[in-house]
Formats: sequence, structure tokens, C-alpha cells
Amino acid sequence: MATTPTYPEPELVALLQQKDETAFRYLYDHYAGSLNGIILQIVPDHDLAGDVLQEVFVNIWRRVNSYDPAKGRLFTWMLNIARNAAIDMTRSRAYRNNQKNRELDNLVDTGVAGSMQVQVDFIGLSKLLNQLKPEHRVLIELSYLNGYTHEEIAALQQVPLGTVKTRIRTALLQLRKLLT
Amino acid sequence: MNVQDYIASGSIESCTLGLADADELQEFHRLCDQYEEIRAARDAFEASLESQAREGAVPPPAFLCQRILENLPLQTREPRIGFRKKYLVAASIILLAASSLLNVYLYRQYRQSDNLYTDLLARQQEIAGNNQSMQTRLQEMEQDMQLIRNPDMQEIKMQPVNNTNSLTTVYWDVKSRDVYLMIQQLPTPAAGQQYQLWAIVEGTPVNAGVVAFEDRNGLLKMSNIPKAEAFAITLEKTGGSSSPTLTAMYVMGKV
Repeated sequence: MATTPTYPEPELVALLQQKDETAFRYLYDHYAGSLNGIILQIVPDHDLAGDVLQEVFVNIWRRVNSYDPAKGRLFTWMLNIARNAAIDMTRSRAYRNNQKNRELDNLVDTGVAGSMQVQVDFIGLSKLLNQLKPEHRVLIELSYLNGYTHEEIAALQQVPLGTVKTRIRTALLQLRKLLT
Repeated sequence: MNVQDYIASGSIESCTLGLADADELQEFHRLCDQYEEIRAARDAFEASLESQAREGAVPPPAFLCQRILENLPLQTREPRIGFRKKYLVAASIILLAASSLLNVYLYRQYRQSDNLYTDLLARQQEIAGNNQSMQTRLQEMEQDMQLIRNPDMQEIKMQPVNNTNSLTTVYWDVKSRDVYLMIQQLPTPAAGQQYQLWAIVEGTPVNAGVVAFEDRNGLLKMSNIPKAEAFAITLEKTGGSSSPTLTAMYVMGKV
């Protein structure tokens, strides 16, 4: 690690876009943990999260040419890939069947946010979410971690769509305060 | 458009986290391009997200990195194939060029051999022709030899007359009375002139034929002479004369 070169982000991106393996290795070394942490918030099973992480890095490798630095940081771009991949995993039939069994075993289903209870631990995002007011936390979890659309959340919580949007934004502003 | 209101609206967070719909996202990108403050707010939120994620990082199992690297659709393998392809293309071009050069070389060799063959063929024909003429000459000489070896053949040496420094021999078959002339030495006649052999029969010269003078040493068949006491050769006009020009006598020999 001591001999690993550090790349300024534009240079790293340029190398990745040239499919430079060393740069990719550097990217993995620097971001795999962070992305894995996020994936685990959505897919708590470590083996499955590993599968998702693999898919994420393969996708990063494949799609890095579509990354536009003008639209945000490299990490944000990768974070969105990771989040989408993890949510896709939770929606796969195999995962759902597996999850159902797990829920039956654990009998921890709260009925509101599905498998959420399993994810709650005291690292990273979860720690942060725990500091939010419960009504805000649920919204972030449903939208960000479970990938529900605003419409779905409105239906789920039986509140108007506009209210859901407003509440989510409020929750996000709370989250920003906690982040900074 | 109030920038502070927008920043306080939660839209930046919603868009950054991927929770916004397409319209909201489009507006966000437009405003980021337009307002530095919005861009700064976005950058700050993104930075805090990244550092938060770093804090919450969970190292993936060590084997995963290798597994991912092995599963990458590596471009470096394709360029290798590409390189190999390029190499193959280059190699085939070189081979083609080499084979073209070889063709040129071989064609030249072929042309050279063909010319040589034609030359040799011509020379072979020439030699065959020479050989045939030699055979003919040899045959003639053998015939001459046969004639001379004939025990019935009488040899009459003809001595020079009028200091002509000439020498000929008449071979006369005493049975058949055929006459053959052998020229040892006679000056080449001028154009329009020809040597003529005479048989002297009881003091009178009798035409024994004109000499078909040629540059060979064989026997020349002359007229049949039943009887003669001497032979002589004079230089006459082409075709011969009815009587010899005695002043132009070159050789004479008594039987």
C-alpha cells in the first residue's frame, strides 16, 4: 500500500477510461470498502454483498467511459451504481425467497420496511440514520435503501405524494446536517 | 430563482443520491452549470457522502479482489488479440512481399534458364549439323581412301610446269578406266576461270573434264579415259575449252 501511487481524480478517471488495470486496482483498493459498506446496508448477507460488489466493479470497468466529471464526483457515480445493483439484488426472485425464509426464521418483520431490521447496525449510514427522527429515517430507508419510488411510498404510507416528496426532502436535509 | 432556496430545498441531496425523477435531475444539472454556489453545495454534499461512506467502510473479503480482476472483461486481453492480429497481418504482408520477390526472382531465373536452354538447343543443333557434315566428309574421305587402296589404281604424279609451283595427282583405274584427280596444290582460279584436265592421247590433248575446284583434299571424279600417255592441267575460261591454252599449263605427268 505504501508504494501504491495516489492519483488525482481526473487522472484516475482518464486512466480508467483507457482501461488501465493498475488504476482499476487502485480504485478497488480505495473504494471497495466504502461501496461494500453501502451495499451491506441494502444486502446484509456478506456473500451476496460480495456478489453485488463484484458486479458493481465490473460495471464500473465497463461503463467508466460514460462517467461525466461535470455532473459530480467519481465516488457519487460509483455509489449510485452500487446502490442500484444492491437494490436489484434484493428484487431478484432468489433473494426474495431466501429473505422470506430468513424472516420466517427470525420473525422480526415489522411490516413496514420489510427486511430493514436485519440491516440496522452501528456502522456508517445506519449509525447516521439512527440519529434521524423515526419518520425521517423510515423515508430514507424506504427510498434510498429499498429503492421504493415516491409513489410506492405514498401508497405504502397512505399519504399524498406531495407530502412524501416534502418529507423526503426534509429528511435529506436532516441527513445533510448530520453528514457535515 | 433564489439560489439559497434551492440549496435549502433538499433537491441537491435528492438528485445526488439518485432519488429524483428525470425532470428534477435535469433542472439540477442545469442549475449546477449555471450557479457556482449550487455546484459548491453539491460538491460539499458529495464530499461528505464520500467521507461518511469511508467511515462506514466494510473491507470485502480478500479473495474478492482477485475474483473481480479475473472476471473483468479485460480490454488488455483484446488488444493482445488485436496485437496478435496486427502481427499476423504484418506477417502475412511480409510473407506476401517475400513471395512476390521470390516470384520475381524465380521468374528471372526461369527466363535465364529458358534463354540458356534456347541457346543450348541452337548450339546442339549446330553441333549436330557439324557432326553430320563431318560424317559426310569422313564418308567421302573413306570412299576416296577406298579408291586409292584399290590395287588396280594407277597413281600419276603431275609435276609443275612454267614455275607454277603446283602439284596434283591423277588416280587412274586401269580396269574401269575411271580417272580421279587429287589437288595437292593449285592457285585458286580467278573469277570466270576454271582448271581443265587433259589426257594426252597419242600426242593429242583430249578433254578429261573441268575441275570443280574447291577447298578440299578429296578425289574429284573426272571423265573416263580409255587410253592416255600423259595428263595435264591448264587454266581455261569457266566451262572449259575445246583445246588447251598451253601457256596456261600448270602441271603435267606422264603415265
